[in-house]
Amino acid sequence: MAKPFSELRERLLRAGVAPRHVRRYLTELADHWADLTAEEERAGRSRADAESAALVRLGRMDDLARAMIEQRRFQSWCVRAPWAVFGLAPLFLLAAAYLVACLILWSGWNIFLPGTDSPFVRIGGFAILYFDVGRLLFYSAPFLVGWGIGYVAARQRLKAVWPMAGLALIAWMGATAQIQASRRAVPGGLGHIRMNFFTLAPSSQAISEGLLRALAILSLSALPYLLWRFKRARSVSA
Amino acid sequence: MAARETNPNFMNGVPELLILRLLQQEEMYGYEIVQAIRGRTGAVIAIGEGAVYPVLHGLEREGALSSSRKTVNGRSRIYYSVTRTGSSRLADLAEAWTHLAAAIQTILTGGQHGEAIQRTS
Repeated sequence: MAKPFSELRERLLRAGVAPRHVRRYLTELADHWADLTAEEERAGRSRADAESAALVRLGRMDDLARAMIEQRRFQSWCVRAPWAVFGLAPLFLLAAAYLVACLILWSGWNIFLPGTDSPFVRIGGFAILYFDVGRLLFYSAPFLVGWGIGYVAARQRLKAVWPMAGLALIAWMGATAQIQASRRAVPGGLGHIRMNFFTLAPSSQAISEGLLRALAILSLSALPYLLWRFKRARSVSA
Repeated sequence: MAARETNPNFMNGVPELLILRLLQQEEMYGYEIVQAIRGRTGAVIAIGEGAVYPVLHGLEREGALSSSRKTVNGRSRIYYSVTRTGSSRLADLAEAWTHLAAAIQTILTGGQHGEAIQRTS
């Protein structure tokens, strides 16, 4: 992308214009610039002169940026409702991932271990693979959601406050998530799976383990985003 | 190189009107629209050419325009055309603008409003 448009892109994103609107705007501006350059070249200008004349005809960068920024309807939801994007949405996503993990656990329990009171027993063969899918989803979901938060924040050039708050929330939910299963809990032998979030057993060991888990999840899920911010800060100051 | 002068704030609403009118006749992409405005107004109306896109995107978001991507001469273009909502919006804008222009013209030619001003001075 040409340098003036790169600067315009950064300005628009930092001002809160949604990335999809920015992308389309810049694509059309670049096409328009190419058309104007061709027109100026046909009028007898050199390539360099034609490009700078075309840029003048396109409009000042301030005007081009303001025309988009002033329209609130082009603003990203990350800016309009950061509490929803970095608070509610990640919580729902993580809850949905846990629900799928629970469904895998429940179906595996009924298929491979119909006579046992709990699915957390020794297993073998294909059942290991089946339960491992659910286990992988359960343990990786906080990281996947956390990386998603980082990606969205980086894409929108957001300040770190809301993304870090969202990451902390997800880390705490992930660290405190616990699954309990018992077939005898409900009559009929269907099996009963329950999940707990956000609370820890009132013992110092449980609390310290929970905090450690939360810190580990937060560190790993925030790492790509923090690295991106660090790299970006260095490139701006250079 | 000095920046070309563009029209001031009272042009608010005029780009929408012109764009809807032009696109009602045929579908066009951004560069064609700007050239058509320049050509048909004898370059009297000059908008910063890039500023046409936020107007187009805004009209599309309101449902007044629809867009489609087409490849012409090896280049991908986004063509815009007027929807039924856009036609209705054009009619409203055109009516409002016609009334405004008639009122201004009345004052300039010393009609009803102009006489009232002369009597009070």
